[in-house]
Parts: sequence; C-alpha cells; structure tokens
Amino acid sequence: MNRSLRIRGVLVVVVLLLSVWGLLPTIRLALMSAEDKEVARSDPERAEQLANLEEKAIRQGLDLQGGMYLVLEIDTTGMTADQARDALQRVREIVGNRVDQFGVSEPVIQTQGTSRIVVQLPGLLDAERAKRLIGQTAQLEFRLVRPLEEYENAVTKVDEALRKAGLIEGVADPTEDFADAAVDTAGDASADEAEAAVAAADTAENPFGELPSALDEDDALAGEPAAEMLREYPFSSRVIYQPQLQNYGTPLWVEERNVARVRRLVDEAVELRAMPRGTEFQFGMETVTLQGDQRLRPLYLVSDSPSLTGDRLTDARTSPDPNYPANWQVEFSLDRKGGRQFAKVTGDNVGRKLAISLDGQVNSAPTIQGKIPTGSGTITGRFTNAEASDLALLLRAGALPTDVHIEEERTVGPSLGRDSIRQGVTAALFGLAIVVLFIIVYYGGAGVVTVVALVTNIIILLAILAQFSLVLTLPGIAGIILTIGMAVDANVLVNERIREELRKSKTVRAAVESGYANASRTIIDANVTTLIAAGILLWFGTGPILGFAVTLTIGILASLFTALVQSRVIMEIMTRKKGHQRINV
Amino acid sequence: MEFFRNTHIIFMGGMRVAFILSTMLIVLSIGSLIAHGGPHLSIDFTGGAELQVKIDPAPEISQLRASLERQGLSGVQVQDFGAADEFLIVLPRTEEEVLDAAQVLLDAVEEGLPGSTVEVRREESVGPKIGGELKTAAQSSVLAALLLIVLYISVRFVFRYGVAAIVALVHDVTLTLGIFSVLNLEISLSIIAAFLTIIGYSLNDTIVVFDRIRENMKLRRKESYRQVINRSINECLSRTVLTSLTTLMVALSLYLFGGPVIHDFAFALVIGVLVGTYSSIFIASPILVWWYERRVADRKRAQPAM
Repeated sequence: MNRSLRIRGVLVVVVLLLSVWGLLPTIRLALMSAEDKEVARSDPERAEQLANLEEKAIRQGLDLQGGMYLVLEIDTTGMTADQARDALQRVREIVGNRVDQFGVSEPVIQTQGTSRIVVQLPGLLDAERAKRLIGQTAQLEFRLVRPLEEYENAVTKVDEALRKAGLIEGVADPTEDFADAAVDTAGDASADEAEAAVAAADTAENPFGELPSALDEDDALAGEPAAEMLREYPFSSRVIYQPQLQNYGTPLWVEERNVARVRRLVDEAVELRAMPRGTEFQFGMETVTLQGDQRLRPLYLVSDSPSLTGDRLTDARTSPDPNYPANWQVEFSLDRKGGRQFAKVTGDNVGRKLAISLDGQVNSAPTIQGKIPTGSGTITGRFTNAEASDLALLLRAGALPTDVHIEEERTVGPSLGRDSIRQGVTAALFGLAIVVLFIIVYYGGAGVVTVVALVTNIIILLAILAQFSLVLTLPGIAGIILTIGMAVDANVLVNERIREELRKSKTVRAAVESGYANASRTIIDANVTTLIAAGILLWFGTGPILGFAVTLTIGILASLFTALVQSRVIMEIMTRKKGHQRINV
Repeated sequence: MEFFRNTHIIFMGGMRVAFILSTMLIVLSIGSLIAHGGPHLSIDFTGGAELQVKIDPAPEISQLRASLERQGLSGVQVQDFGAADEFLIVLPRTEEEVLDAAQVLLDAVEEGLPGSTVEVRREESVGPKIGGELKTAAQSSVLAALLLIVLYISVRFVFRYGVAAIVALVHDVTLTLGIFSVLNLEISLSIIAAFLTIIGYSLNDTIVVFDRIRENMKLRRKESYRQVINRSINECLSRTVLTSLTTLMVALSLYLFGGPVIHDFAFALVIGVLVGTYSSIFIASPILVWWYERRVADRKRAQPAM
C-alpha cells in the first residue's frame, strides 16, 4: 500500500471514529426513556451526568421541542445613542430576571442590533402568560389624586382646547370598534361586579361602598351624544361625571366602548398643553359594571409626577386577601429611602387619595388614613393566585426603563414538536432507504461504496451538530434529507466517469485513477455554487431558516470529504491487487 | 444497470421547442403573478398573525370561518391543515400590536365554539416592521446569490457561461414562483430558503454540463460548437438523470411524510428539482450555442463590409 493511500486511510478511519464518538451522548440520550430521565433527575449525582449528556447531545430547536421565540423592540425615541445602548442592556437584564423567575430551563436572551432583544424559551407551555410577563413595563408609581374641584377645571380646559383645535372624535366606525375591543381585552376581562378593591398598608379604607342605586339614566350616561354636543363639548360629552361614585377615588367615568376614543382625546389634550399645571389623566385598570349592562372605566386626575416609584421596592410577595379569601394580594416592602418618602407623602396628605398605578393605569386609589411609617404596603384587587404571583414577580424584577413591543413571535406547542420529529425522521428514513436501494441496484459493488459514503456523511453531519452545539430544527432535518439526495451526486459523478474510462478499455486501476482525477474538478465546481447559496442563507437566515442553512452547508462539506477522500480510499483498496481486472460499477 | 449508454439524442434540435415552451410558461407565470397582484406573501413579509389549532370536536371549516366573521374578524383566512381537526387561521396585515394579534384570534376561536377544547399547536405573529425587513432581506439574499454565482462562474469559466447559467436560474425561480402563484400558495421565509436551494441545485446541474463542454472543447476541436455541446449533454445525461432522481426521491419523501408544516417547502423543492434539471439541459446549454452562433453569424456578416 503506498504512503499517500495509507495516510488517507488513517484519516478516514479517524474522522469516522471521532464522529461516532461525538454522537455517543446523543445516542445514549435517545435510548433513555422519559421515565429514566425523570428518575435520573431526582438523584443529584445522576442529574449532573444527565445534564452533561444533554449538553453534549444534539440540541433540538424550539420547533421540535416546543417553545417560544420572541423579538422585542425597545422604544428609543428621544434617546441618545449611549442612552439607547444602556436602555437595551437594562431591558435585557430585567427580561433575564423575569425569565429566570418564570422557571424556564436554558432560556436564551440576546441583544440584536441597537434596539432589539431576542428571547428564546424552550419547552414553554403558557405563551400568553410569558408574553404578558416579558412585554410589560411594570412601572409601579404612587401618585396623589387631585381634589374634586380640579376635575371640573380640567374637563373644561380640555373641552375648550379640543374645540378650538376642531378635534371631534366622530361617530364610531366598525373597524374602530374592533380596535377598541382588542385594546381593552385586558381591562374588562372579568369585571362584572363593582369591586375595585384597594388598600395601601394598614390604613386602607374599605372602598366597597354601596353604589348610589339610582344613576340618572337621562344624564350623560345615555347612549351616543348628538353631533352638536360632540362639537361643543368634544371631551365632556364622552365622559360621565358622577361625584356620588367618589368611593372609587374618582368622579369621572367613561363607557367601555368609548375608552379608546377618550384615550386619544386625552393624548391630544396633553399635546395641546391643555392640562392644568401638574395634572394628568390616567384610566383605571378595571372595568366596573353598573346596573346590569353599564360598563364603565374610571378616569383619574392625578399628579403628573409620582410621589414614589417602584424603583424603591425591595421585595414583593403574595398572600391571600384577609377580607376576601378567594382573592390574592401583593405585599411589597420599600427600601429605607423609599420608606421615608412613603411616610412623608402619607403623613402630609392625610384624607387625600393616593393612586397606585402600574404602567400608567390606576390599579386602585385608597384614601390615606394616616402616616404609614413601616415602608410596606399591599396591593389588592380581584387577583387570582397566578395573577398576584405574576405581579409580584414583575415588581421584584424591576420595571423596564422604556416601552417594549413584541415585534415577532413564533411559538410551537410541544405536541406539534413531537409530531414534527416523528414526521421528519420518517421522511428521512424513507428517503434514505429508497436512495440506498436505488443506488445499489444501479451500481452494484460501487453502489455499496456510495451507500457507505452516504451513511458516513450523515454521521459526520450529526456529529458536527452535536460537537458545536448547533441546533437541529425541522428545516434542519429537511436540510439533512436534501443532503442525502445531493451527496449521492458526487459519487455518481465519479462512478459515471469510471464507467466511461472503463469503456475506453483502460485497466481498472487506471480507470479509477482517471475517473477521480476528472470528476474531482467538476465536483468542486458544482458544490461551490451550492455552498454560495447556502452561505447566503446562513447570512440572511433568521430563526428556522438558519437551521436549514446550517445542515445544508455542513452536509455539502461532509459530502465533499466522503466522496473525494473516503470513497476513493475504499475504491483504491478494492482495486489495489495486481491483476484485479474487474470492478462492478 | 445503466439507463443511458452512448446516447446520441440531438438536444439542440429540441432547442426551439424548449424555448417556445419555456417562454410560454414564463409568460403564464408572470401573467398569473400580475393577475394575483404579485406573489402571495405570507405574514413573514406582510406582518400579521397565524394560528394553528387543533379543535375537539372538530367543527366544519365553514362553521369556524362564520364564527370568526361574526366576531368582526373579517379578512381572516381559515384552511384545513394536515388533519380534519386541525386548522390554520391567518390574520394578515394586522394593525394590532403583535402582543395581541394571535391572542385575539385564539379568543375569537374559543368564543365562537363554546364547549370545544382548542389546543394551540403553533402561533406566529410578525410586526409590519420586521415583516418589511425580512422582505428586503429575502430580496437582497436572492439577488446576492445570483450575483455571486455569476461572478464565480465568470471566473471559473467565462462570462458567457455565467450569463447562460443565470438565465437558467431566473427561468427556474420564475416558473416555481408561477406555479406557487397559480396554486395560490404562500411565499414564506422557508419558501425563500427553498428558492435559494433550487438556485444552488439547478446550478450544480448546469455546471456539471458546462464543465464537460469545456473539457470537450479542448479535446474535440474538429467538431462544431453545437456538436460539442450536444455531445457533452449526452455524456452527462446519465449523471444528470441519476442525481435528479435521487434528489427528487428525497424531496418527494419530504413532501409525503414530512408533515404539513414543511409541506409547501418540500413542494417547492420537488418543483425546483424538476424545473432545474429541465433547464440545465434545455435552457442553459442551448443559450451558449445561440450566443456563440449569433456572434459567429454577426462576424460573418460583418466580414464582406471590411
């Protein structure tokens, strides 16, 4: 055996052994049943082994194991480049905190570009909850509610400004209604009783006062105001003034179906600088249903700067509401500085109402009964245990420094993931079987060499995936399947060439030799172009496509090796003996 | 076993027929694309939401559609997806915040079919901004692929070969787009991936033939350009058909068993393999002949004037 052949032979064997070795963790993991894994996880020592094994095995993409892929975009309007960079890092940290507390194993949170964060949560079940938790700003604020007399002043001024600006939110059109409904789904979720329960610390007032039983039906509460009214009083004709509902902390109410429109009017008023100095409007979080079908949202006039913010929070825990055991509440504690501020605000404003608002919506507005020196308080509401835990989690993890939008979301349920694996494996095995059969029938002995190359190709491909912690996705499986078809090509080129050379009645050895010599150039030329296409996919690929590009690229490279090195070694060894004059091609 | 041995099929004779056929198909494809107002882009590019749900008990598709429309969700597309109890609901071009879009759909499904259990199998929402970016990225990636490939072929062969290869590629992608348009299938991110694969694959075929042409040009100086090309195609025929067959087999296997999620992707591959094989024999090489012979004819015509 000549030296070059020996070196190449050793190389082939080493590559094959390395690949099989690299795949062992994946194989061992695949052989373990779900129960085995469960048992292993409960034993600390074996759990570590298992984690180690999982680390080294091929990782499944979110579309195979189920999970969620999110792209968040942070709002950087009005920020300098430095501020935006800081904000992005802060958001990443806080989202990371929240995800950690959410209990997802192996989450991936990365920044992308200057204003985006990619979040990947494998194996996640409750997509809606995760989105709520991740996307919410969670800025907790305490703001004093303005006294009753200021309300009238504010409403009048807003009316005037809007009238002058000629802004009249006209009669609703259907699409607008749809938009309203969607925006408000969070707010009116389950509110069918009038109980926006509120308490701050030990001094909470009981807000569950009886509603005045006879709301005047002919009053502003009646349906759609006339066009003339809208022109004259663009704002006040959309809101309802009910001082007798003061128990809720505000005399102003808005019908649920008008909320989005009034929200726009309020924004417009801010734009027009029509708000009285030091005040702003904030909606309540929950809808209150009065007298059967009257669904109203409270609208608060609060100070435009918070007396205290959630930054000063040190902890937030849930506990059952002592007054309403079915409900849960969130108890929070403040740091020392926060505690002092809280004591001062409460001490200075006894008898006034203090709104607790989250992300610009008032959760509750209890009356301050006296100074609260303890630096702790309670947020109550009709929270379920889960809702209260989520709120506590958000408060603990901190508020996002800026607004965050979910720009892209892709979630796959675990059942679909399992189906995809099953279908992908079926397609791969079927494709492989039929190609193998076809090649062996067509080429005979040389066909076996091709099949060996094909199988080696897949082993190398999978081993590289495992070794470099690349992720296998469903399109990735498609890439492997496609590789099966295309990897045959290089071998076919060689085999066809050898057949041709044999027809020129060369010896077998010479035919093999010149067959490879002639085919190699073609094989490389042909594969480079596919590599260009695959490379561009790698560059442009996002999420799922990337998996396809990865397996396709590795597959092509591996097929170059198996065809040009491995198959050739085998063929040369087969035809090495002198006088070996026949080969089955 | 051997399919082709020493074939002498006169492919160049079929050139005219192939050109006419291809031109017709391309006109049809472009016509269909125009009639449909461009390719039917998925939410990946337009922005919107997509929800794949399993509903027990399975409703009639018309029932599901009606219930969604009753709730004011017009413009929603509902289709069967893989199984009788599985549906794909698409809300294109949503103005809603993405956070809500898929949820709005899900709420509507649940509300419209009281008493049914709805399992979310897959949920995708893309904001219009990212959609626009993906669209640009997809377009530039296809363009970049074409450019780089012309460049590579021009370096390895000559410019003429590069142009011929690109014409074949554009032909392949246009026909595949046309078939997708006629069948009203969506162009999604993964279909773009399939297109790039088709580009790579179709080229693979073309280059193998080109390589042989170049080799034969040196070996058979006495034969005419046309004869050399015809001979080269014949010599490569066995390989072309064989590789196309194995690739087609795996693509079909993916199409049949790969599941509904990658059904369209596999379909694009199947079409691409067929069209790509056809074009490398009947389009790319004949263009070389046509180009060469026209140039020679021009020169001959130019000579008397000199």
